[in-house]
Amino acid sequence: MAEILGTFEQAVLLAIIRLRDDAYGRAILQEVGLRLGREVAPGAVQATLERLENKGLVTSQLGAGTPIRSGRPRRFYRVGPSGISALNDARTAVEHLWRGLRWPLKGHA
Amino acid sequence: MRTNPPAWAEAMLRLFLRPDVFLSTSGDLLEQYRDSILPVRGLFRADRWYLRQVLGFALRKILPWAALFAGVFVARFALDMLHPTTDFHTRSQVTTYTSIGLLLTAGFWSAWRSGSFFAGAAAGFATVAAASVLSIAGTAGLLAFWHDAPAMSAIAASGGLDEALFLPAFLIVPGIVLGAIGGLVGAGAKRLWRAI
Repeated sequence: MAEILGTFEQAVLLAIIRLRDDAYGRAILQEVGLRLGREVAPGAVQATLERLENKGLVTSQLGAGTPIRSGRPRRFYRVGPSGISALNDARTAVEHLWRGLRWPLKGHA
Repeated sequence: MRTNPPAWAEAMLRLFLRPDVFLSTSGDLLEQYRDSILPVRGLFRADRWYLRQVLGFALRKILPWAALFAGVFVARFALDMLHPTTDFHTRSQVTTYTSIGLLLTAGFWSAWRSGSFFAGAAAGFATVAAASVLSIAGTAGLLAFWHDAPAMSAIAASGGLDEALFLPAFLIVPGIVLGAIGGLVGAGAKRLWRAI
């Protein structure tokens, strides 16, 4: 079985899927922060994107810049087939862990 | 009013990233700075935010080197404490040459990636600075477990607690020099590689 993705990696991959054609660095940063409910460091997102790209789970290509970026290019990301497969594996693993338990948990620990 | 982050902070960011990654990443940071941070927090706090992000990028890039560098000193401290010796020459040589090798490699690697000689010097500085903190934490952790009389006596014989805790911090200048030498070779090698 492939290596299970960490929570942050899943958050980044799901953000790219949600953002579709608008999945570039800052948009991903904001989407991940929104979903996790906390401020996220750009460096953490960038490092995760680089790691996911090195693993072959995402691909990227440079796009045009905008005036607010002083014309600097945006790097757009896409989740590849391996990324989709890794996300499905992660979801399956969590469902296996929870199978047979009622959510939310109640009573004594 | 200025709407750009400090130029020196952007220059610092450039030293720790590949040129292609720098363009898109600095664009993302600039967009966030102008669009979300500056209007809400004001210039001073926005600049502080930007610098914090740059330091975050730098730390992530040099952390493996800093951990290895600190590991050398913590391992040497543990060895001197748990297996005392009267002949420190061999141990010192191993520690010294391993540290030199790590700083040269960190400088080379950073300059190779960014294509700038200055990245080597910056990597040397950042590696030693971060390693100083890690080394203090590691040494203090060992002391929490082993602080009986024989252990303390062994520490005193090997140079004392001060040296064990703070020696990496005194290596900032050698770190910059060695990183710069590695950077010089790394940047030169990168140019040669491009030219071939």
